[in-house]
Amino acid sequence: MSYNQRETPILAELCTLLVEDVYGELAARVYSILARHGRQTLAAVARASYLNGRQIKYGLVILLQQHLVFHSGNDASVTYYEIDWQNSYALVRLGKVAKLVEDRFGKKAANVMSNLLALGHTRIADLKDAYFPPETASDDESDDGVVNGAGLKRKRTNGTQANGTATKTNGVVNGVPSELDDAKPHLASLVNGGGAVNGIHKTNGTTHEPVADDAEQDDDDIGSVDELYEIIQRLIQRGWVRTVTESQYLSPGDMHDMLQQEAIEQENAGVTPTGTKDKDRVHRATLSLKRQMRDDWLTVPKFSQKRQAEDYSGSNKRVKISGANNWATPSVSSEDNLVIRVNPEKIAVAMRTEHLVQLVEQRLGSVTAGIYQTMLRMLESNIPRCYEEWPEPPLPGGEPPLENTIDHRLLVTARDVAKKLNRDLDICEGLDPHAIVHITKKGHVDKYTVLTHPTDPSRLSLDERTLVVDKHIQLLAEDPIHFVTWHSRAGHSQWHVEFEEIAKQMIQSEVENTISARKGALGVKLIRALRKKGKLDERATCNAMMMPANDIRGIINDLTVQGFVQTQEIPKVERREAKHSLHLVWYDRQRAREKLLHDTYKGMVRILQRVAFEREKVQPLLSKAERSDVIGNEEKWLSKGELDALKKWKEVQEKLLLQLFREDDLVATLRDFHGPLVSV
Amino acid sequence: MASLAAPLPVPKEEEALSMQDVISPADALYDKCAQKAQGTVFFQRDLSNMQIAETMGELTMLLQELCDRHLMKLMTLEGEPCWKLRSRSDADKLRRLTPDERLLYHHIDQVQAEGIWSKALRARTNVTQQVLTKCLKSLESKELVQSVMSVKFPNRKMYLLKHLQPSEDIAGGPWQAEGDFDTALIQAISGAVAQYVENETCIKVPGNWNDYAQKKANAQGMRDIEEAPAVKPHQPSSDPNTSKLVHKNSPQYPNSASVAEWVNAKGVLRGKIVREDDMEQLLEMMVLDGRLEKISGTSYRTVLTAIDTKIYNGFVDAPCGNCPVFDLCGDEGEISARTCVYYGEWLQTQSEEV
Repeated sequence: MSYNQRETPILAELCTLLVEDVYGELAARVYSILARHGRQTLAAVARASYLNGRQIKYGLVILLQQHLVFHSGNDASVTYYEIDWQNSYALVRLGKVAKLVEDRFGKKAANVMSNLLALGHTRIADLKDAYFPPETASDDESDDGVVNGAGLKRKRTNGTQANGTATKTNGVVNGVPSELDDAKPHLASLVNGGGAVNGIHKTNGTTHEPVADDAEQDDDDIGSVDELYEIIQRLIQRGWVRTVTESQYLSPGDMHDMLQQEAIEQENAGVTPTGTKDKDRVHRATLSLKRQMRDDWLTVPKFSQKRQAEDYSGSNKRVKISGANNWATPSVSSEDNLVIRVNPEKIAVAMRTEHLVQLVEQRLGSVTAGIYQTMLRMLESNIPRCYEEWPEPPLPGGEPPLENTIDHRLLVTARDVAKKLNRDLDICEGLDPHAIVHITKKGHVDKYTVLTHPTDPSRLSLDERTLVVDKHIQLLAEDPIHFVTWHSRAGHSQWHVEFEEIAKQMIQSEVENTISARKGALGVKLIRALRKKGKLDERATCNAMMMPANDIRGIINDLTVQGFVQTQEIPKVERREAKHSLHLVWYDRQRAREKLLHDTYKGMVRILQRVAFEREKVQPLLSKAERSDVIGNEEKWLSKGELDALKKWKEVQEKLLLQLFREDDLVATLRDFHGPLVSV
Repeated sequence: MASLAAPLPVPKEEEALSMQDVISPADALYDKCAQKAQGTVFFQRDLSNMQIAETMGELTMLLQELCDRHLMKLMTLEGEPCWKLRSRSDADKLRRLTPDERLLYHHIDQVQAEGIWSKALRARTNVTQQVLTKCLKSLESKELVQSVMSVKFPNRKMYLLKHLQPSEDIAGGPWQAEGDFDTALIQAISGAVAQYVENETCIKVPGNWNDYAQKKANAQGMRDIEEAPAVKPHQPSSDPNTSKLVHKNSPQYPNSASVAEWVNAKGVLRGKIVREDDMEQLLEMMVLDGRLEKISGTSYRTVLTAIDTKIYNGFVDAPCGNCPVFDLCGDEGEISARTCVYYGEWLQTQSEEV
């Protein structure tokens, strides 16, 4: 089973809460059945719940539309439904995604992105209609925004309010199994409910808050259909948005079965492999099919308008090999029928960039961090995902893999950074003045370490800028985390980033942060000592930490209880007396990582529960404040005490949600940047 | 035999001191040897060269007598016999020992600075535990032997002669005192080393080190407020009184050898010399402590953080991350998010009463 698809009870709880928060009660109830019972058929879901078939179907359609649930292929006799834990968890990131896109592609793209997030997968034509409603659909009911329970208010069972608009069932639903056909009209209305866009485009960051202002969006409105298409195209090219195919609905288990069967047919003439060699060959073929399929998802479709952006650099090299798969995206003549969705893997890449920049800012200062940010964003469009989920297994002979050369698109030169860098950044800051003098060759450094000839960073020539930037990059390279690694001399100096190693260090540093907050510097010292030396007995621990044993014992005990450190007793004599046994302590990064991840999930559940509790306390007041006559006239209708309570509730909610998003950052570091670590 | 020998020499010695002329040849030999540097080892050739004994036979007799009186200690070096002097007071003490004590003393003497574990001592001498304890106690009270806690085996008491420095195997390096790490010393030394490394690898830069904005303003004279230079992001303070540390441009990174050399030259550790291995242990410990970071295989530098406030992570900054009852906390019940006092404190709201 896929590593990412392993669920824990606490994650199930967290995801159910998130689904309820974002998509309302009906979806959450269907979801929670799947979460508790695992892979189910429609009939089994019905048996396990008190909902009727119609309700379950509506619920499932919402979940499918948002890719929260996998289902087995349409050709099988029964369809099984199974939760996609990765995507379900990703609900907590809705706001973050919009921010990430805005930083990179501007406000308009962020707007498109948050609409895509709110709608789930969408036909491009429907998205177009949402922005530029066709004449016929425009006289829809004005409260249409509510239909899209998405991103709006909880406690609104989406299904009941679906007022089917005149839209036909179209390509959007190609991922929905046939047994849900009767729910399709609703689905379609979900997607393109006329003027619904205004209501939902504000999903960023405040998925929990009913937002009712659509006044100030004029500035970053998308002007024309062409512009919209251009934005979509750019997002697809950079890998942020991908086309939806039916294969994306297969659960990892189903996908594995299917591709293994295919591999067996290709490699082993349809005979189930028995020998080790055959098994290995089929295994390799399966993995490569998986990679190939996933890469096909990222194929940039041909857009009918000749609008190839100049900076298109091919998001994936494996794309070219495709073609043999009959279930791959059928080539569409017009992009209008393309169904697209947000690519969650890319989100993780962008989050990793943000984390790394933050880390550098803490360690080396903001200027170096700014330079690192520029470097990473230049690389970003060529990095489809954080880590390879299906890596080629090592060859049996233990030979090193042939691929030692680094793809040139994963390299970045100091000169390119210097060209691309924001001119306002004071790039001289954070460096040794001597280095600046060495570069500018003007004046010298006096005894107070002050430049006799101050240098204005905005007046440096490109060559000088390159040299200064190179100094910063050297700082990055020298750091023990090795944020960049030297590659060659091209473009003054060419660098690449060893994300794998850095991701490991990031996990380690989060574990250390946690321990440092709980147990102070001593705990961190112990963990580092154990990480460096492996399993230690008491005396060796003392030697490494240069401390008396008495001071260490308490910490070892506490960390063992918390699950960060493991202990082991090895008897030396047959009778296994404690006195004659070796008592070893060790630290396993993967275990600590999983423990911390699990605890963080639990902490997030508690935050959501607390939000619910706090809301419950002010519920009467909230319903009053949400009345249509009160909105906008709060001063008039609410007493001073009520206003204060409202303000307090907003503060509390904000604080809790902010913390939730920060915990999500931690989850990203622990879970999304690196595959499972091999134990020590 | 010792009981017989013990009382006899005492009056004899006084005699020797009072009447210079009637000094015995044995004492003469002893005095002659005592003129050499302390701890000298004498071979038969050296002793006969002193021309006190007339013949080889007489020399043997003299040496036998001195050995009986514990004034000399017989040793062998590569099969050849050799002798070493003991001070008169030590010899005196030795003469007063019981045979058991002497036996133990002999064994303890043999291991020299390495020390011997009391259990091993018992195994070698075959005495009972009571006798062993009693004798060791009396030997200690007579200041002939000392006991040291072993560093390798913390529960073993090692015995060695009083005047010897315990070897590093049992007493540890310069960082250890009485079998345990000397925390105060380690702290003081690591502080000094951290400062040294900082001076070597970092440079303090004042806020106004690159005062181009000021200079530009001066050069162009006063300008209208509208023409004021554009706002610069990340503009750090240019106050000359603030300063920050940055990594030096191409510094000489110190390594364990150079730091050890510096510590020894400074004489920070009074009387002790720090070897490279000891220094490496200390530096590695400081890396674990987060005070230094390793740059390449052997060199170190100071850890700098650009931001002063410590940021942990989202989890531990929330109440749950440090909660003592986190594992007991459930969806409902006495301990839950609704009843949590820590949340109440953090958000300054009321929690549900249980």
